[in-house]
Amino acid sequence: MTLAGDILQITALSLLVAGTSTLVATLIAVPIGTVLGLREVGSARLLRNILFTLYGLPPVLAGLLVFLLLSRAGPLGPLRLLYTPLGMVIAQVVIVTPIILGITMSVVSTVERRVKDTAFVLGADRYQLSITVLREAAAGVLTAIMVGFGRAISEVGAVFIVGGHIEGQTQVLTTTIITDVAQAEYGHAVALGVILLLLAAVIYSLLYRIQERTLP
Amino acid sequence: MHFASMRQYIVVLIIAAVVALAVTAYLSLPRAYLLMATTTSTRDTGLLPPMLRNFTLDTGIEVRYIAVGTGQALDAGRRGDVDVVMVHAPALEAEFIASKDGLCRNQIMYNTFVIVGPAGDSAGVRNATSAPDALARIYDNRSRFESRADNSGTNIKELALWSAAGLNASSFGTWYEKTNQGMGATLTIANERAAYTLSDDGTWFAREPTLPYLGLLYNRTDSVLRNQYSVIPVNPATHPGVFSERALAFAQWLVGPRGQSFIGAFKVHGHTIFTPDGTGDC
Amino acid sequence: MSLEVSGLVKSFGAREVLRGIDLRIEPGEIFAIAGPSGAGKTTLLRCVDFLLRPETGSIRYDGATTPAEPAPAIALRRRIGMVAQNPLLFRGNAAYNVSFGLCIRDVDEPELSRRTADALKALGMSDLAATRASVLSAGEAQRVAFARAVVVRPDLLLLDEFTANLDPTNVNILEGAVREYNRSTGATVILVTHNMFQAKRLANRVALLLEGRIVEVGAVPEFFENPKDPRTRAFVTGEYAY
Repeated sequence: MTLAGDILQITALSLLVAGTSTLVATLIAVPIGTVLGLREVGSARLLRNILFTLYGLPPVLAGLLVFLLLSRAGPLGPLRLLYTPLGMVIAQVVIVTPIILGITMSVVSTVERRVKDTAFVLGADRYQLSITVLREAAAGVLTAIMVGFGRAISEVGAVFIVGGHIEGQTQVLTTTIITDVAQAEYGHAVALGVILLLLAAVIYSLLYRIQERTLP
Repeated sequence: MHFASMRQYIVVLIIAAVVALAVTAYLSLPRAYLLMATTTSTRDTGLLPPMLRNFTLDTGIEVRYIAVGTGQALDAGRRGDVDVVMVHAPALEAEFIASKDGLCRNQIMYNTFVIVGPAGDSAGVRNATSAPDALARIYDNRSRFESRADNSGTNIKELALWSAAGLNASSFGTWYEKTNQGMGATLTIANERAAYTLSDDGTWFAREPTLPYLGLLYNRTDSVLRNQYSVIPVNPATHPGVFSERALAFAQWLVGPRGQSFIGAFKVHGHTIFTPDGTGDC
Repeated sequence: MSLEVSGLVKSFGAREVLRGIDLRIEPGEIFAIAGPSGAGKTTLLRCVDFLLRPETGSIRYDGATTPAEPAPAIALRRRIGMVAQNPLLFRGNAAYNVSFGLCIRDVDEPELSRRTADALKALGMSDLAATRASVLSAGEAQRVAFARAVVVRPDLLLLDEFTANLDPTNVNILEGAVREYNRSTGATVILVTHNMFQAKRLANRVALLLEGRIVEVGAVPEFFENPKDPRTRAFVTGEYAY
């Protein structure tokens, strides 16, 4: 495989894995985070504490957990997802979901009570109420998704453990940089590092522009 | 109509997620390729990619691999996560076969362990009379030494050599550093830290140009320094679902004329790295 | 919409804010609830608009109590509009804010845009349709909030000190809009105010609320010119110190 082809494939897989994980995590975390953030009673507090613990979950630990789950000898072994991109996505969803959930919950809970009251008085039902609050918190929720994607694309421990860094199969930018450095392939490593940086810059500036449009 | 448009956003998000998942799932379809766990030293020499390509050309069987330490490679086999292992630690391999995790064992090739270190060689390893003597000199001088400490074949050999020198590595001081990493990474660290380390000559020759501060200090072909590589298909009786037939075909190809002649002809920077000695019961 | 409030009691902790309110408000009238700050006026309105749940007593809308099932309860809620003293505007422009209630009710284009534009125009806000809510002045914001409340044609419009702290021009525009809305739709309007002059200008009938109780209810001329209760007299003549 040519150097350029190899870099292209690694970059594409990195984007696919991090993007898919972020999308799935967003679909799980934003609705749940909104519902929990809207609750004002203390029952949500315990959950919030658990979440903030998960928030700090070391990615490597998530990787280990998912590895043990997906290994042939593990409970989900028959699915044969170890050392596959889907397995990596599962590990990253475990890492990213608490991050998006936690931030969404806290930005939704800081939306003024009066927003809910006003929407209620104007005739909103529960769903419309949630959407209204979510819309007011849009900048914060977008930040949550940005942070989640940033964590996913730069994460290395979990994708290494669960993906196995198989050439042409589960190599991503971060894991390849690690093995490149071990092999003293510094030029290749730097090229991948620059791509990682550019990707982050492009995606962040894109999201930043969306975020700007959602300002009051 | 912002409630309707919000619904549209959600639908777009869901579609995007489903498409992304579908692509990921497609790439994750039950693999048709043979999955091998092997050691970092075979990857780091650069032998694997061209050799596997030849095997695929001959048999139509695609092979992918994860490169880890011998201990971890055997463990991947023990968990049934891979179809075949290619390792270099005969004692551990015997256990692997005895526990019915391995089906059979073909020895493929060997190379030689060498001691490399700072070109200045303050411990005088160049003048050593044997491998244990070389390590004893490093010990006497308390010269910095990088141990892979990863239960790899190289690491196991290193510990055996310390024992042969009458030394107990677990009691060593801070000069004895444990990298917990593969051969290539450990050589990189030794190069940066002006330390001695034990390497296989294959990885050394492959990496030599990138290691300016290290020199080859002890490379005699004592029988104790022989580094025997073997291939072991994972036992389908213990681990149903592994690609046993393909693994056997791979093991047989490696010891057959095509595999053996490829290994014998493989050169890195002008050095022949592996000596083929294929035989076995697979 | 007619409104019957009977025996309404509402407390916050140990503090009893409404101590048994009885009121009957007829369809189509503009009814003012006057009283000093802290009398319970806002609490009463919030009970009427389901933002608060009273401990005892009942409120009947067009003779019926609040339905238990969510769908008819929402339908009833959607017949009631409210404008608060310091309105909250949603993030977005003036037109978005005005159209909010229409969106809630699934009103489709082009009706949505037409009604939004009409409502803005009625308040003299056509030029500001695309202006972000966060940069509107207090008077403009209140006009947007009023347009947002009336664009959905509520049968009962609750106004809670809706012109407090506004300049006379804006007060005039808003009071004119209330009269016009009441005249053109026949909707009932409840106006909570501590401003006796505003009650006099807008209302058909006035009630005085003091310390959680209704002191006196009367038609506008009599209430101001010939109050029965000495406390009402003190209030309308400005002698009441609060």
